[in-house]
Amino acid sequence: MTALLSIRDLKVAYRRDGVAVQALKGVGLDVEAGERLAFIGESGSGKSTLALAVAGLLAKTVEIGGTIDWSIAKSQPSHSFAPPSVLPDISPTRGEIEPSSPPSPISNVAGGDPTAELLISPQLGEMSGRTEGGAVERQPSRPRDTIPRLGRDIGFVFQDPSSSLDPVMQVGKQIAEVIRTHLDVSWKDAYTRAKTLLERVRLPDPDSALHAYPHQLSGGQKQRVAIAAAIAAAPKLLIADEATSALDTIVQAEIVALIRRLVAEDGMTLIVISHDIALAATLADRIAVLRHGELLELGENQQIIEAPRHAYTRSLLDAHLGLDAKPMLDRQGASE
Amino acid sequence: MSLLTVSNLAKRYDSGGKPFAAVDDLSFEINPAETLALAGPSGSGKSTIARLVLRLIQPDAGRIDFEGSDFLALTGAALRARRARLQMVFQDPLAAFNPRATVARVLDDPLRIHGIASRAERPRRVAALLERVGLNAGLAARAIHEISGGQRQRVAIARAIATKPSLIVLDEAVSALDVSVRGQILELLIDLQRQERIAYLFISHDLGVIRAVAHRVVLLDAGRIAESGDARAVIANPQSAIGKALVAAAPRLTRNRP
Repeated sequence: MTALLSIRDLKVAYRRDGVAVQALKGVGLDVEAGERLAFIGESGSGKSTLALAVAGLLAKTVEIGGTIDWSIAKSQPSHSFAPPSVLPDISPTRGEIEPSSPPSPISNVAGGDPTAELLISPQLGEMSGRTEGGAVERQPSRPRDTIPRLGRDIGFVFQDPSSSLDPVMQVGKQIAEVIRTHLDVSWKDAYTRAKTLLERVRLPDPDSALHAYPHQLSGGQKQRVAIAAAIAAAPKLLIADEATSALDTIVQAEIVALIRRLVAEDGMTLIVISHDIALAATLADRIAVLRHGELLELGENQQIIEAPRHAYTRSLLDAHLGLDAKPMLDRQGASE
Repeated sequence: MSLLTVSNLAKRYDSGGKPFAAVDDLSFEINPAETLALAGPSGSGKSTIARLVLRLIQPDAGRIDFEGSDFLALTGAALRARRARLQMVFQDPLAAFNPRATVARVLDDPLRIHGIASRAERPRRVAALLERVGLNAGLAARAIHEISGGQRQRVAIARAIATKPSLIVLDEAVSALDVSVRGQILELLIDLQRQERIAYLFISHDLGVIRAVAHRVVLLDAGRIAESGDARAVIANPQSAIGKALVAAAPRLTRNRP
């Protein structure tokens, strides 16, 4: 496996009333290309800070140390096209995007072949030619040419879809705007792609959903729209930060299934942030346990769940109230 | 005799011009010292039922009997006195308190308003309440926004038990807490129930939590009861479509338990 990003000695400190509060105290790990990795922990563990740091979303006033290196080969030939796995039905428009670009080295990645090299390489070149123009302000520690762009290279799904969607803009336009920002396509094509995306996230009646406002949709539907917007520019990395925590159990299970399917279909790398170890286990292949800004352990799901090395991980597992846990009424002896 | 009897309760809202039945012909009862859980997907009517039982909103039809009298017919002093017996704890304690108040102020209010303790006696009662919910009495001087989420939820419980209620409505009261804190709060609630014989109307979307603490469960779907019964029996073998869907959707931790 190749590492998509290497995080080394990452330290993040927020200033609160003039006092630095360490949110991350030197975290290091590799995120493998194509893997699904969950960061779990309780309040104050630093899990969301880590997600924001990876996405480059931390405020400029935040103190950051260490490095986040992306293994995005700078030497790759610059070419740009819409990844066919995302929009298989509109390939004729590809040529319009950048007519001078060399033909794609891999003509077909549809079907979600899990080979990391295959999944990652079609998109490699897209970065290098597109780091300028509209790029958000970044933390200065990253070399300019390896800076991934949020929205283009990283899709981010937040907990509350109501606050990540513009309440006074039709959802079709919001998704089309993401496409227009990152891909060189016309509004008409962007809307066509937006509709395809709404179909992919299984929104009922995508035609009318294009013209719906967020308040007309349920919480689960809004989260589907937010996911559609997050993957609109075919990012390599999808970050889901407590993306299902505000949803009821049934909708949560549907969104989990949706994320799993999209990640497999598009060959995305997935980072899941969750307080729920059981939910993390259903979405991820590996689990990283954070506490008080430190990485306690990192391992395959099975190892973390069945043979945790750290006592804290064990206590998280014990605190999980699954449908097979011993009822607390019994534990204390006096059930009716 | 049951502590709370809800009969044929109905509440309709207007949704884009057309009426929408949030709660539709609903009946259930809660016995003293019993935990009855309400579960169901978003929009099934859980929180509307909580608000109706608390008389925060008025039903369109139906009857609520609490401690042997028609709760919806009570007014004035009789209503205020009975309200002391029916308390509530919500999901987000920060939203439930004046954030600039101190812990002492939050707990002093119910003691004063309901005439439970004299001014001279109240600081001692506040300290006793804090100790009852497992907090240090020294926390009384702290501002609500300064304490942790778990501590705030303990303060919310302390405020609820200050008036010696027979029933507490817990609306997603542990949903926002870290799992380790959640376990402690659930244990506190079970302990209070045993010691003070408090009944709980326990609203949650989490069947795992319900199975751990509730005696009986009512599964709701679109404002109606889909099924009800012994919490463990219903969750082990749901009969309704919504019950099966809720059980199937619960995240599972597959591991070999020691």
